[in-house]
Amino acid sequence: MTSSSARISPSLEVSSGGAAVEYVIDIINLSKSFQRNSRGRTSYTTVKSSLLNIFRGGARASAPRHVTHAIQDLTMRIPKGSSIGLIGRNGSGKSTFLKLVTGIYKPTTGSITVSGRVAALIELGAGFHPDFTGRENLMLAGVMHGLSREEVLERFDEIVSFAELEDVIDDPVRTYSSGMFMRLGFSIAVHTDPDILLVDEVLAVGDAGFVAKCKDRIAELRKRGKTLLLVTHDLEAVERWCDEAIWLHQGEVKDRGYPRRVIDSYRHFVEKGEEESIVQSERASREENLQQPPTEQTQVEAARWGSREVEISSVEIGSSDTQDKRVYHPDESMRIAIDYQVHSPQQDLVFGVGIHRADGLNVFGTNTEIDRVTLPAIQGSGTIECIIERLGLLDGSYVLDVAAHRADGYPFDYHKSVVHFSVRSENRVVGVLSPKRSWVFNNHEVGRCA
Amino acid sequence: MRIVVSELWRARALVDALVRRHIATRYRGSFLGFLWSFLNPLCLMAVYTLVFSHYMRVGGGPNYHVMVFAGLLPWIWSTSALHEGTASLVSSGHLITKSMFPAHVLPCVSVLSSMIHFLLALPILVLFMLAASVPVTATWLLLPVIVVLHGIFLLGAVLGLSALNVFYRDVQHLLANVLTFLFFLCPVVYPRTNIPERARFWIELNPLALVTEFYQMVLVEGVLPPVGQLVYFGITAIATFALGVAIHQHNREQFAEAL
Repeated sequence: MTSSSARISPSLEVSSGGAAVEYVIDIINLSKSFQRNSRGRTSYTTVKSSLLNIFRGGARASAPRHVTHAIQDLTMRIPKGSSIGLIGRNGSGKSTFLKLVTGIYKPTTGSITVSGRVAALIELGAGFHPDFTGRENLMLAGVMHGLSREEVLERFDEIVSFAELEDVIDDPVRTYSSGMFMRLGFSIAVHTDPDILLVDEVLAVGDAGFVAKCKDRIAELRKRGKTLLLVTHDLEAVERWCDEAIWLHQGEVKDRGYPRRVIDSYRHFVEKGEEESIVQSERASREENLQQPPTEQTQVEAARWGSREVEISSVEIGSSDTQDKRVYHPDESMRIAIDYQVHSPQQDLVFGVGIHRADGLNVFGTNTEIDRVTLPAIQGSGTIECIIERLGLLDGSYVLDVAAHRADGYPFDYHKSVVHFSVRSENRVVGVLSPKRSWVFNNHEVGRCA
Repeated sequence: MRIVVSELWRARALVDALVRRHIATRYRGSFLGFLWSFLNPLCLMAVYTLVFSHYMRVGGGPNYHVMVFAGLLPWIWSTSALHEGTASLVSSGHLITKSMFPAHVLPCVSVLSSMIHFLLALPILVLFMLAASVPVTATWLLLPVIVVLHGIFLLGAVLGLSALNVFYRDVQHLLANVLTFLFFLCPVVYPRTNIPERARFWIELNPLALVTEFYQMVLVEGVLPPVGQLVYFGITAIATFALGVAIHQHNREQFAEAL
């Protein structure tokens, strides 16, 4: 088994305190790159194509091949008993990293030394055969994890009861629900006495009760001095579980250290990236719109219509301290600034704003008439602002509509989906709205939530 | 080579479990279940006996059907091990890409499980021999030696072919055709006396033909194979094994990425 061939004596180092620190994973200048040919598959060729290459006189080198650098020059040591959270965007090299630790992938250059038995909770139940019973699959999976037949038999009852599958263990696993399947896989993996536990997003599935049990089991393994490597997009989990966070970005360690700090800078980075991509997609759709002449039409998509006697020349959103901001926190304020130009003076001009969630749900809409705002006589050009003191929306993507029209509804300039923005929070409140609230217990306020 | 052998030995519990599963999978859900292990070669034998002995009259004497059966059993072992084994890395790719799985175990499982089917069908051969009053002779004692050499040959071939098949999927298609070709080239379904004298040397260079003949000699005819041929086959088996292991070892680090 790979686990036993990886059982190399742990590297020892004396720390400044004088105590020996044992490293279970020792990585030196590790790089991993994948060669993909033009057909998009890794080094997969047919005899035909390689024969053709020979006839073309070694055209192999000139064939278009992309080299992807999944991991670049990584050096790190992971001490025994630590729990590390790996974070990073999709494609940052996290999964490649785990596959290198398990030995599924071999390094392109550099070295990785892993000491101890590795249990990888990557693909739970990867080797299960659907026509076989839970019992048969359990036996085989146990052996595949490097246990002997006797060891599996010894732990059999414990594994089954942990997975809560006593009643169905003799049914073929094709009759199992995906939750049951996952529970069996997880239970086998954590009962193999691993020294290093690799967890890749698997806690995202399963019902709440079982997830709690998994977490208890992982906590217990940690207490027994096992090393945990957690790959997840659940930043809260990293904060709660790990004593160190490693942020991978394009195959390199962008930051490493105390989880709270690393997560904050990661989060900041993600928001900035999101802001850029929102602005970019908006620009693209706006350019598309410009090519169409303004006509009277109703469209659900980004659209603009109206007589343009009063024209909305630009719309900008920001918070109290930042202009042109696209990612908000529920507690933040939002300032919607509408620049207008009046081409022919109007008596009863009304400005309106509306917010929709990306799926079309109407979240909020108002105008100066509904809000009983008396506008002074308007002519020429200027700016009208609507300031929302506290946005109060929950996580999601939203679009903003703005409009200038007459009180009787005659449209001057309607802009649908003119600005996209999103709200991000760590809050687990569900729904659309997070109103200001407090909890009072027997007349004593016990909690206040913004 | 020693690495692979010792790794296979260490993974024997896994090999054992996978072979059991493999054998159980084949007939799971079928009404006759394990009986198909016997019925498949029986049906084949019936077809070949009818066509070659009665329609085409290739000769071969009264015990032609026993000879065909004794040849078919090892031939089926060879072909099913080569077919399944060559495709094994590709068809179980998820194990290699998703878990820490020793790849060389898979071809090994194909060879061993088809060997078990072969061994289990031998009692049927004995029944046929008794029915046709062909004596079971002491030459059967040589059977283990032939089985082991045959197994080593197949294992080596399959280790190498399965590794190549990961990169060139044409291998498995090519193999199917080569095996059909070899089947009719080898004296399995007709007596070897039908082969022209000057072609026989070349036919018998083919280890698969040779080993099939060994079984027919030892099990049915009650004669010992010529020592030269045995030695030749032994050397071929070990050389094939060494080559197969070398090809496998050379490529094993790329399997997870190529699959």
